[in-house]
Formats: sequence, C-alpha cells, structure tokens
Amino acid sequence: MNVAAPTTSIARAKTAGRPVGAKARIRVKGLGKRYGTLEVFRNIDLEVGDREIVAIVGPSGCGKTTLLRCIDGLLPASEGEIWVNDQRITQPIASVAMVFQHFGLFPWKTVYANIAYGLKLAGATTAEIAERVPRFIAMVGLSGFEHAYPYQISGGMQQRCGLARALAVEPNVLLMDEPFAAVDAQTREILQFELLRIWESRPTAMVFVTHSIEEAVLMGDRVVVLKGRPSGIHETITVDLPRPRSRGTLREPRFAELRERVWGILMSEARAAEFHLEK
Amino acid sequence: MRRESIHRLLPFVLSLAAGMALWEIVGRHTSAAFMVPLSETIHRFWQLAASGQLGTQFLDSATLFATGFALALLVGMPAGLLLARVQSLRVAIEPYIMILYATPMVALIPFILSLMGFGFAPKVLVVFLFAVFPILYNTIEGARSIKPELIEVARSYRSREWALWREVMVPYTLPFTMTGVRQAIGRALVGMVAAEFFLSSTGLGQLIMTATQNFDTGGVFAIILVIGLIGVGLMRFGLYIETYFARWRD
Ligand SMILES: Nc1ncnc2c1ncn2[C@@H]1O[C@H](COP(=O)(O)OP(=O)(O)O)[C@@H](O)[C@H]1O
Ligand SMILES: [Mg+2]
Repeated sequence: MNVAAPTTSIARAKTAGRPVGAKARIRVKGLGKRYGTLEVFRNIDLEVGDREIVAIVGPSGCGKTTLLRCIDGLLPASEGEIWVNDQRITQPIASVAMVFQHFGLFPWKTVYANIAYGLKLAGATTAEIAERVPRFIAMVGLSGFEHAYPYQISGGMQQRCGLARALAVEPNVLLMDEPFAAVDAQTREILQFELLRIWESRPTAMVFVTHSIEEAVLMGDRVVVLKGRPSGIHETITVDLPRPRSRGTLREPRFAELRERVWGILMSEARAAEFHLEK
Repeated sequence: MRRESIHRLLPFVLSLAAGMALWEIVGRHTSAAFMVPLSETIHRFWQLAASGQLGTQFLDSATLFATGFALALLVGMPAGLLLARVQSLRVAIEPYIMILYATPMVALIPFILSLMGFGFAPKVLVVFLFAVFPILYNTIEGARSIKPELIEVARSYRSREWALWREVMVPYTLPFTMTGVRQAIGRALVGMVAAEFFLSSTGLGQLIMTATQNFDTGGVFAIILVIGLIGVGLMRFGLYIETYFARWRD
C-alpha cells in the first residue's frame, strides 16, 4: 500500500503525530463529519503545536475545507471534538482566524476597512484601529492601496489583504484554506515566502491546507495526507527542513526527497487523475 | 473631451428646442380649451408663482410626498432585509407582497377613503403604498444575492446579528434598494396626485382640479410641467445616490 521508504529515514505516520512546540494549540479528537448522508471524513486525530505549521494535502473534495470550517467553529462536528487553547470549539472563537481560498473580502469595503473589520467587530476603538491597521498594511506590502476597493487590485493583492485582516486580530491559530490557489504561479511563490517571513517574525499555530505538494513541504513542519472516501489521515510526514525556509530550501536535496515521498503516498492508490500535479 | 460633450449634448438640445417649438406652434393653432402654447404656460406659471398659490400648494404636496416616501423607505428597507434573512417569514409573506405589488394602487383609494376619511394620514398611506413595494421588492432580491461565503466570513469573525446587518447586509443591499427608490419616485408622484384628487383636495393636485374647473388650460399645463420636472429631478438625484452607494462595484 505504501511506497517503499526512501534511503533516508523519514518518520512514519505513527511516530509523526506529535506536535512541534511547547504545547498543543489545537487538539482534534476522533473527528467525523457528515453532510446528510455524505460522510466526508471520519476519525481524524490531529494536534498542532503553538509554533507549528501543519500542512494538509489531499485531492479535491476530500474534505480539507470542511475540516478547517469545523476547526474554526463554523460547522458542528458529527463525531469527536475539537479543542483550541483548551477551549471546546462549538462556535468561532477570538484567537482563531481563517484565510479563505476565495479571499472573502467585502467588495464594498476598501483595503483599509477590510483589514479593520475583525478589529472593529472585536470592539477596538477607532484610535486602536488607526494605530494597528497601517502596521498590517505595511506588513503585507499593501501601502499605498489603503483606499482601493477589492475589484481595483489584483488577486495576489486581494489575498494579501485577506491575510492582513486575519493577522490584524493577532490570532494564535491561523487556518489557511488553499490561500494561494487562486493566484498565478509567480505571485503564489512570492506570497509563500512572504507568509513564511511573516510567520517567522511571529510564529503561531497554523493549519495550511493546499493541494500543492511542493507548497505543503515548503510550509509545513508536518504534512498530513488526507485520502479515501470517506477520507481520513492516511499518513503524516515530518518535514525536517530547517527554518527559516527560503527560496534556497526549494533546491535542497532533502526538499526533493520529501516532495517525492508525499507524492508517492498520494499516488499510491492511483487516483492520479483527480489530483493536480505540480511540476 | 469638450468636443465630445458638445456632440452628445447637441441632439438633446436640438430635440428640446424642436419640442418646445412644436408645442408653441400647435398650441397657437388649437383651441385654448384643449391646449395652450408654451409661452402661455410659462406666463401662467409666473402668475401662479407670483400669487403665492403655487408655493403654498407645492409645500403641501412636498410634505405629503416626503412623509409617505420616507415611511416607505423606513419600512421597505428593514422589512426587505428581514425577509431576506428569515426564510420562513419570506415564504409566508411573499405572496401578499406580490399581490399588492401587482395591484393598481388607485383601486385601493376608495377603500382607504371609507376606512380613514379625508385627513392627512390616508393620503400619506396612499403615497406610502405606491412607493413601498418597489423598495421592498428590490431590497429583498438584493439582500438574497449576498454570497453565502461572505456571511460565513462574518461568522468566522464572530459577527453578531446586528453587526452583520451594519457591516454586510446594509452596505451590500443599498444599491439594490436605491434602484427600488428610483422606481418608487415615479409611483409615489402618481400616488401623491391621485391622493390629492380623490381624497381631501390639497396641494398641486388641487391646483390642477381648480384650474380644470375654471377652464384655465394654461394653469393645468403649468402645474403638470412642474410635477414632471420635479419627477425628473428626483430620479436624477436617485440615480446619483445609487451610483454613490454602488461605487465599490466594478
Ligand atoms: N455545505 C455542504 N453540503 C453538502 N455537501 C458539501 C458541503 N460542503 C462540501 N460538501 C461536500 O463535501 C465534500 C468535501 O468538500 P470540501 O471540504 O470542500 O473538500 P476540499 O476542500 O477538500 O476540496 C465534497 O464532496 C463536497 O461536495
Ligand atoms: Mg477546499
């Protein structure tokens, strides 16, 4: 079933389930989710450390978005439970922020107002907002576009805005749902490294969903492979590439090795046609 | 740029001049019982304005219009948002809205008269009924077209119901509501004049009635012209507001 282990030793599923960092921020226990009669996934166990990025890969429709929505408290679990910051998740909580594949910007709000949105809802004063928002605008490189409406800026810039909106509420858990899937390849690469740089400056727990194997290996401390129908965690691969990661990481032999390993796991059940392969 | 605007204005100005000339010529060759020329209409307009009658009655009509219209907006928009948000309520109430929207409101006036008599309130009700349905209907349709993803974003940021209305529903729906407002302006003017004809006779409607009874064709034309111009002005203003609230659309 599994591809033969490559020459170097790579931690296997059972031993790779431990979170990195002092303590677990997210604990998912025996999680299952059904939409009516459709069972999306079952029996998901996952812990994410407080300074750890866990990348989740899996074919389209295997339930990645559903899993994130459950962790964010947007959807009730059918089975099992989710704990974040030792709080049982039944609805969205303040210390978790999500970045959406479709960006989720409010088209009637300017870049500034979109980024201020979370702060405003959290009850921040105008003065606090005026102090904080420009910082995050600068952080994601949107200075000069404060007063633009989403339709006036490129997809990449829209997602910078989405990212800044999430960062602005200073969450200690970030949920990223294929955040760069809708932008062109070049912009995507730029955004990946900018996200890594931002994360290095203030590490948080992050669940990074993607269907790009390269992206999963580049971002994650561990890569979780979701597979099957209903899906489950098929395997967890520890990514022992040093941080901070940069463009140089992509050229390391170890990176290629890990990428091939994840590729092998995903392809092992030969649903290759369903999967968007990266070059 | 300048040349271009002249090119676009020219047909408009020419057509306006031709229309005015035609009115003048036809008016001069028609019995004054049916029609008077433009010059006579303007002359009567000045006379009515100078006598103070026009001003007083205009204010009267404007009060009626503004009250009825403001109520229509104040009821139509929140009710529309609520009906868009609460599915069961919408399903229950939508048939009544459709029936009332399709009903010629004039047909309701005798009923309103027998119910409420001749005061100010029944006339406001008439203007309200003429204006409220386009506002309500466009608000519902607009608010229903909000992407569910955006509602989910709001939920993810722990939006309360009130914040959802303030930050999402209202700003998204305003351009749609304003489309309804523009449609409602014309209808409300009809409602205003109809109320002034058929209920207690006041305002510009009363001026038209009096002028008709006195065979003052110039007066009738002058007041109709005034109402028409007000209507055009209001709709232009409505379009301006609509464009303002829709400036975030590409
Ligand atoms: N609201 C919903 N109601 C019913 N089925 C849904 C809903 N959302 C997603 N699904 C189904 O659940 C499965 C997983 O979807 P999703 O979590 O979006 O997958 P992914 O993000 O991995 O592509 C798909 O088969 C999808 O059609
Ligand atoms: Mg998805």
